[in-house]
Amino acid sequence: MPHIEIDKRELDELMENEVSEQKLREEAAFLGAHSWEKQGEHRWDVETYPNRPDFLSVEGLARAYRGFFGFEEGRVRYEPAPAEVEVSVEEPVKDVRPHIGCAVVRNIELSRKKINGLIQLQEKLHETMGRRREKLAIGLHDLSGLEPPFRYTAKRPGKVSFRPLESEKEMDLGEILETHEKGRKYSWILEEEERYPVIIDSDDQVLSFPPIINNQLTEVEEETEDVFIDVTGMDEDTVRDCLNILVTALAERGGDIEKVDVDGEELPVLEPDTMELDTDYVRNISGLDISADEIAERLESMRYSVKEGEMLEVEVPCYRTDVMHDYDLIEDVVIAHRYSNVEAEMPEIDQTAELSPVEGFSDLMRDVLAGTGALETHTYILTNEEDVYRKSMLPEKDLVRMENPLTEEHSIVRPSMLPGLLKALSNNRHRGYPQELFEIGEVSVCDDSDTGASDTGKLCYVACGPEKGFTDVRKILQVLERDLGVELEVSENERRNLRTSRSGIITCGDRKIGYIGELDPEARDNWELEAPVAVMELDVDTLHEAL
Amino acid sequence: MRLTKQAENLLSVLKQESEVTVSELEDDGMDQSMINRAALELEEKDLCTIESSEVEKGYTLTSEGREILERGVSPEKELVEEAGDQPVSTSDDIWHKPVALGQARERGWIDLKEGDVFLTEEGANLEEDPVFQGLKRLKDGGEPEDPETLIERGLVEKEVATEKVLEATEKAEELDLDSIEERFNVESRADTPRTGKKHFYKNVIDEAKGIWLEMGFQEMQGEFVVPSLLNFDALFTPQDHPARELQDTFFLEKPARSSLEEFGEKVEKIGKVHEDGGTPNGRGGGMAGAGGRGPGNVLRTHTTAVSAETLHRIDIEDEELPKKYFKIARNFRNETVDATHLPEFIQTEGIVVGEDLNFRNLKGYISKFFERMGYDEFRLIPSYYPYTEMSVEVQVKHDGEWVGLGGAGMFRPEVVKPLLGREVPVLAWGLGFGRIAFLQMGLDDIRDLYRNDIENLEKTPVWRPER
Repeated sequence: MPHIEIDKRELDELMENEVSEQKLREEAAFLGAHSWEKQGEHRWDVETYPNRPDFLSVEGLARAYRGFFGFEEGRVRYEPAPAEVEVSVEEPVKDVRPHIGCAVVRNIELSRKKINGLIQLQEKLHETMGRRREKLAIGLHDLSGLEPPFRYTAKRPGKVSFRPLESEKEMDLGEILETHEKGRKYSWILEEEERYPVIIDSDDQVLSFPPIINNQLTEVEEETEDVFIDVTGMDEDTVRDCLNILVTALAERGGDIEKVDVDGEELPVLEPDTMELDTDYVRNISGLDISADEIAERLESMRYSVKEGEMLEVEVPCYRTDVMHDYDLIEDVVIAHRYSNVEAEMPEIDQTAELSPVEGFSDLMRDVLAGTGALETHTYILTNEEDVYRKSMLPEKDLVRMENPLTEEHSIVRPSMLPGLLKALSNNRHRGYPQELFEIGEVSVCDDSDTGASDTGKLCYVACGPEKGFTDVRKILQVLERDLGVELEVSENERRNLRTSRSGIITCGDRKIGYIGELDPEARDNWELEAPVAVMELDVDTLHEAL
Repeated sequence: MRLTKQAENLLSVLKQESEVTVSELEDDGMDQSMINRAALELEEKDLCTIESSEVEKGYTLTSEGREILERGVSPEKELVEEAGDQPVSTSDDIWHKPVALGQARERGWIDLKEGDVFLTEEGANLEEDPVFQGLKRLKDGGEPEDPETLIERGLVEKEVATEKVLEATEKAEELDLDSIEERFNVESRADTPRTGKKHFYKNVIDEAKGIWLEMGFQEMQGEFVVPSLLNFDALFTPQDHPARELQDTFFLEKPARSSLEEFGEKVEKIGKVHEDGGTPNGRGGGMAGAGGRGPGNVLRTHTTAVSAETLHRIDIEDEELPKKYFKIARNFRNETVDATHLPEFIQTEGIVVGEDLNFRNLKGYISKFFERMGYDEFRLIPSYYPYTEMSVEVQVKHDGEWVGLGGAGMFRPEVVKPLLGREVPVLAWGLGFGRIAFLQMGLDDIRDLYRNDIENLEKTPVWRPER
């Protein structure tokens, strides 16, 4: 989850109140920025959740906490000036990166620290909402040297050149993708394009090559007073939401927002959405005994504005991109009420407990097996063909196989419990013998069910030691027979990984339940086991059905 | 008279032999600490005396002695041999010069005149090397002729050991062994036998299972392989949510796709919810519908997929609400293995479905569960999951720190309505289990839960909650 670094002095200044470190540590998490950790004298690391991109700047946090800590309430009103700058969106870019949102923020006082905060906000928005710039990318420009109106268009790689940030020389768009650090990092986004997006002013100066890099010419510096913001991307709503988060953060710093005419529409749109909220619904879902006034109060402290009536009319601030449903408002009511103030209550629900029959049956068998002196293991469900086929020499199965495993070690779902238990024996070679292990668990193989694979419960038992053999496992099988009250038959049957003539299938009536036998010396060698190993594996589901 | 079996045995030996040492008894196969305990018991009852005495145990060679033995000649003899062949001066390089000169002179083998060495007659006729011979005899297990000289020369040391000598007292001599009653030592420890045993991690799981059953929950059914529809789409997880990206989710090469036939119209409804929220008061996540990945299979990344399937299976027309369900099962994340990350992990999942349920009830169930699992301090803080609202992180106090053990919340109407058929409050949680076991068993490597070291399995106590 995204982390940001803030300076607590800036937070206090923006909140117009000094909040103690203890209060931040103990209470701040209850608003939904997950953790606050002090890193230096004034430096704090704040972990946020992806649903609140408006928390990715100290300005956004201060705005929310001003309300949460009770310094201010209601919606912050942003009143943008009418557009002076125009941006036209030209045809070629519409197939490449179709959407752009722009705004101007004037009369802003910047410092190195504030610029770093802005860059952090920009980068974090790129990572989260922007899905690493694919979905959206942000450009911030010093407006002073530029000549509006601007054009958002797409050009062939060799047609346009400029000097990008962090570079000494002028390059064309193709060179930037090939040689500039940012170009190499993000060139995948434009991989299939013939033309690349650019924003150009009326003197043909390039502002930006989204989503890659800006022109050095427009770099925002401490002297910058007027900032031009562009947000480009693939989805119109996301582009506009992001623009709102950016401009309102800058406005929190005292900047004056000015709209930009983008193809005839003035952006940003900072008017709130209005939602109606039924107070009974709030009470029912939250379980809180809370009046309409109190609900309104809670919402106001979460920076909504509320008009009371039969239904509450709630104005949702333009930067709250996460609010989609009444439920989201109810959540904010409860957050403002504080989760810690919610009293736990157990409802009376009369229902008889029920364990799935096979689960209960498995537990019974675990008791029986532990009673025979064997140790229960806990092994991985994910495994690999090396362990299953080569080492354990299991017969071919239609395996459940991952498309994208990070390691070959965990690349299939186990079709049998045996490899896991043999691995456990192999890991215990330095311990005393004899060793008896068992586990009951699920395996999965492909079949013709709806998902294409089904889980089956299996019981696996292994015994290893100089004196261990078929008879030892047969004895355990008989203990199961005795204690479960079932009759099982063993008949001789060859199996690739078991010793000839010491291998059998286990049946119950006409149902095949599993196999039993002594492990073939080759499989033993594969697991570097020196003593004989005897094994059995039973199908728990079939056995349960047979009872 | 009452004696332990061991003391009685010792006494019967002492009555036969007038005097015996501990090491002699050890040589007879008795355990040293057992002899000492039995002797003390007898001494206490005035049946034997224990005396320490020094016993000579023969001689050992010093390093100088060993050097002579290895070289096969003593320095004084070597000096005599060299002086016999050619003139030797005291300024020459002589092996162990001061010793060689001193000893040879003392034995009357040489004379010194103005720094030159002259053999005496005795020296000139010398054949034996008494020092070497003495050492050699000693090494071969014999007794040297003149041990004192060798000791003075620092070539040999006398070995002395302290021995405990046990002797029966008069009282013991008179005591009739048949009159002794056996005293049993209840204090001494026996060997702990090897037994069968359930796995310590499964103890934790069994305990949790018991708690849900006590609360009347029914177990849910679900499998490892699920369509993205259940794992993501039905849970209102946006198409481009980071969790879907390759590094977190195991997508399947085989079986690659599910048939969604049994979900019928729900597939479309789930897709629509992503576009417009699907409810009069809602707006969608602005995301593409479920049409794309819906049937694509994954290994479930959370047991919430099982909850989604359970909601789908409830026949809302026929079955009566409320209902409560649980599941404790394995989930899979495509992660690199290290001390704190594994590609599989166990969660305990729960849902409660009913018209009158609310957030306070959610807190009720979760606090009950954690209380029963042995945590007296826990808290809920706001969190985020695409499918819940309120979204909650459950934290417990462990060693003074708040530690997150999982998520909880109320399923969003966008989740419930398409799956169940109408909007009903659903309380839901998915609590990480490995973390609970990890913290409570004091492990520092999560892989230890899967290591199956026999010694560790045997010695780990059966887990029970601290309550």
